[in-house]
Amino acid sequence: MGAKDVKPTRSELIELKKKIKLSQGGHKLLKMKRDGLILEFFEILGKAKDVRTELDAAYEDASRKIGIANAVDGTITVKSTAFALQSKPEIELESRNIMGVVVPKIESSSVKKAINERGYGILGTSSYTDEAADSYELLVEKIILAAEIETTIKKLLDDIEKTKRRVNALEFKVIPELQESMTFIRLRLEEMERENTFRLKRIKG
Amino acid sequence: MRLLQKLKRGYNSGSKSHAKYAYTVSRVRAMKSKLLPKEAYPRLMNMSIDEITRFIGESGYKEDVDELALKYDGVDLVEHSLNRNLSVTFRKLLNISEGEVNFLIAEYLKEYDIWNIKTILRGDYCKASKEEVLEAIVAGGSLTYTFLSELAAKGSYEEIISEFEGTEYYPILKDYDGTNLSDVENHLDKLYYDGLFVVAGSSKSKDRKLFAKFIRVGIDITNLMILFRLKKAELYDPQMMDLMIEGGLEIDLKTIQKLMPFSFEEFINELEKYSYWKEISDLVSPDMKSLIDVETRLKKHRLKSAASFSHVYPISIVPIMDYMLSKQNEVNNLRIIVRGKAAGLDDDTIKEQLVI
Repeated sequence: MGAKDVKPTRSELIELKKKIKLSQGGHKLLKMKRDGLILEFFEILGKAKDVRTELDAAYEDASRKIGIANAVDGTITVKSTAFALQSKPEIELESRNIMGVVVPKIESSSVKKAINERGYGILGTSSYTDEAADSYELLVEKIILAAEIETTIKKLLDDIEKTKRRVNALEFKVIPELQESMTFIRLRLEEMERENTFRLKRIKG
Repeated sequence: MRLLQKLKRGYNSGSKSHAKYAYTVSRVRAMKSKLLPKEAYPRLMNMSIDEITRFIGESGYKEDVDELALKYDGVDLVEHSLNRNLSVTFRKLLNISEGEVNFLIAEYLKEYDIWNIKTILRGDYCKASKEEVLEAIVAGGSLTYTFLSELAAKGSYEEIISEFEGTEYYPILKDYDGTNLSDVENHLDKLYYDGLFVVAGSSKSKDRKLFAKFIRVGIDITNLMILFRLKKAELYDPQMMDLMIEGGLEIDLKTIQKLMPFSFEEFINELEKYSYWKEISDLVSPDMKSLIDVETRLKKHRLKSAASFSHVYPISIVPIMDYMLSKQNEVNNLRIIVRGKAAGLDDDTIKEQLVI
């Protein structure tokens, strides 16, 4: 809104003053939100780094263990054993709120299982298969954890970016323009008052 | 009962068994001479997967590689060729033997029949396609590939099970209700070992005693590995005794019952009393993370002990068993090298798993 577009009236001035006060309040709140989100972000970033490292290690271990199981027992055995899987992991998606940002909370069940609950017979299988299954269960758990944390980070980053844009817009565009308009109206009203006084004096004279 | 009848039949037909053994053993000896020499393995370790495929394609596996080359390539081609060759070899053993020797080989190869039944039931359980199930089948036992393919094409487990009516597998399979697959698998595997134990212990001849010893060492090792796995998983349930096989050479069911409630640490302390301890003592510790090395070492021990007495009774079941194990071992070693290389395992890890 250009300063010249406003009507130089007293009511407009009062309206503008209200708007400036509201914008300044909003600006302060958004700044606080941005700072809060950044703090939260750095806290989760540490966790995300740890989870990523654990995920990489779990993936490497799982690849090695399935490699050994495929080599020693044969892919045919591993494939046939995998057919027997009794219950598939279940994932429940909930959400929680961090300063107005809705982030996911992922709950999983039936990921880690004891060897007698996997569905395959213990007698006809080997520790190679057990350990490959163990390491993949751990990998799935880590993937679920990493998915939750990394999605949270992504959402926080998006929101930080959005809040930052809003703070900047208020600070460098909206509030200065409102103040400019207010100054314009004030000056224009003063000018109009002076004109009125002059006009009255001329009529009297 | 059926097992005893078969055993009797085996004896009756095996009255002229010495001559039959001589024929089968001489055929087996010729087959054994075609196995890869141990010097071949270090060379294979230095080859790429394509070079190994070519090497295998120019050796005793030529026919299998040629047959399957249209369908598979790379590592899959090698693995399927090895499995096909193993099935063909074992089927040949069944074809060239008769009487008692045929019966003993068939009993030993029931492992493959049970494996195939389990695979077909697993395939039905997870609704895998017929092609997927057939890829996982190794027709090394008495059930033919054609029969197994027909089973894999059946629409339900009830239809599959009804095909086994009248066989020794039926009493176990009829209890399958579509959910208790692991119980059925365990009972089938137990049937195999129990059958072997009965067969092995049913003769008083010296060669058969040696055969029985070989089987009983195998039972000990299987029981030991199950105990290791249960302890590692912290499962102390007395019901797990159902998984244990009777007839171990050093570790009988009474001992296993005693070991069952022990923690992992107590269990390994107790193991020191048995001869197997010296094979694995350097690998076992209370805080060990993996059982892979222990299992590999025990497997090596079993093969070593089988090879050590294969020359004692040259005209008996022992050299035939030794050949079957050596052939299985050759196939395993080749698969370990190829699959290990494909999975990017380092040379030391691959070498640790090889039994040469």
